[in-house]
Amino acid sequence: MKFTVRGAVPIALLGLVAVAVVAGAIALGMAVFGGSDDGGKAEYMGAVTSRPVEMPDATLTDQDGKPFNLKQESEGYVTLLYVGYTHCPDICPTHLYNISESLKKLPKDVSSKVKVVFVTADPERDTPEVLKDYLKTFDPNFIGLTGTREQTDTFQEDLGVSVATRTDLGGGNYAVNHAAYVIAFTKDEVAYTVYPAGMGIPEWLNDLPLLVKKGFKPA
Amino acid sequence: MNARFLRRGALFGALALVAFGLAIVAAACNGDDDDDTGTTPIPVATVGKLTILDPWVRTTTNDVTAAYFTVKNSGPADTLVSVKTSISPMAQIHEMVTSGATSSMQEMPNGLDVPANGEVTLKPGGYHVMVMNVKSALKEGDSVDLELTFKNAGTVKLTAHVQKGEAMSGMDMGK
Ligand SMILES: [Cu+2]
Repeated sequence: MKFTVRGAVPIALLGLVAVAVVAGAIALGMAVFGGSDDGGKAEYMGAVTSRPVEMPDATLTDQDGKPFNLKQESEGYVTLLYVGYTHCPDICPTHLYNISESLKKLPKDVSSKVKVVFVTADPERDTPEVLKDYLKTFDPNFIGLTGTREQTDTFQEDLGVSVATRTDLGGGNYAVNHAAYVIAFTKDEVAYTVYPAGMGIPEWLNDLPLLVKKGFKPA
Repeated sequence: MNARFLRRGALFGALALVAFGLAIVAAACNGDDDDDTGTTPIPVATVGKLTILDPWVRTTTNDVTAAYFTVKNSGPADTLVSVKTSISPMAQIHEMVTSGATSSMQEMPNGLDVPANGEVTLKPGGYHVMVMNVKSALKEGDSVDLELTFKNAGTVKLTAHVQKGEAMSGMDMGK
């Protein structure tokens, strides 16, 4: 069926958009609260991306100052990837805290198969040592990656998120505006679900075993 | 290059939809708050018609942290105009703004509105008091003094406890 738009259609179109948005919200609402028991696609509580996200083939510097190739290190693991910065007051520590608490609650055969990778969007402040000190307050197994400004910017581009920018807060402080969701790569190194702010421990407890044991098969 | 842009566009689309879905869900949850008798938080301070509930400050890993609380209002509209604390010379009221899939926080130079006969909650991913240049490390079990100034109701002092993250009860959406 062909859809042409011209002239006086905007209102009809708006209506269509509204319907689409509401339908989407309802579908997502179900996914978010896992209300469906059809045993298939609605098992995940994370937000399903409209298109799978490929893991970038990047080598950055880890919290011990060693080169870290993301694709190689992720082989056989579920990788939760997050772009943030250690001076983030709100969303970054919230995600990291929620993931660390969830991993503690999950059985070892799940938690041992999950790697958490925090890639800084603020490489000027976040050196390997700073990342190491920061991440160990959540979980000493969390991996922190940094690099040159060019490397971390390119990484965000390759990931398909908008590259972080700065906001001056005065007094030498600045905030880094960055993608605010955790991207969950399954063992095939492709991500089908993401976890924005507002999703936390209940979502991780539900989704991590699925991500590890089942992977993701779109319905 | 094309594939990259396509992928980015797709992810943005998905997230815009997610944001919308969550907004609706959140609104639905807020609507239930009034008849929620299950886990009523203990008020820690009042000033005029305003009551401050559940204040907490996140443990520090560097010199930055955030403070959160709920303000309930049984009177006319008011505005939270400033927050002070002895742990830092620099506390600002911030909001998270999400555009596309990127979140940024911004200072609210005119303060945070407290609706008449309503409430406003500062919590992770939403409004927060950003505390910078924190003088000494905060660990679980510590407490932090806060001084909130409202445009109409005036100033109120209270004590917030330090914790690593939002308490589980605060995330219970299923009631
Ligand atoms: Cu802030």
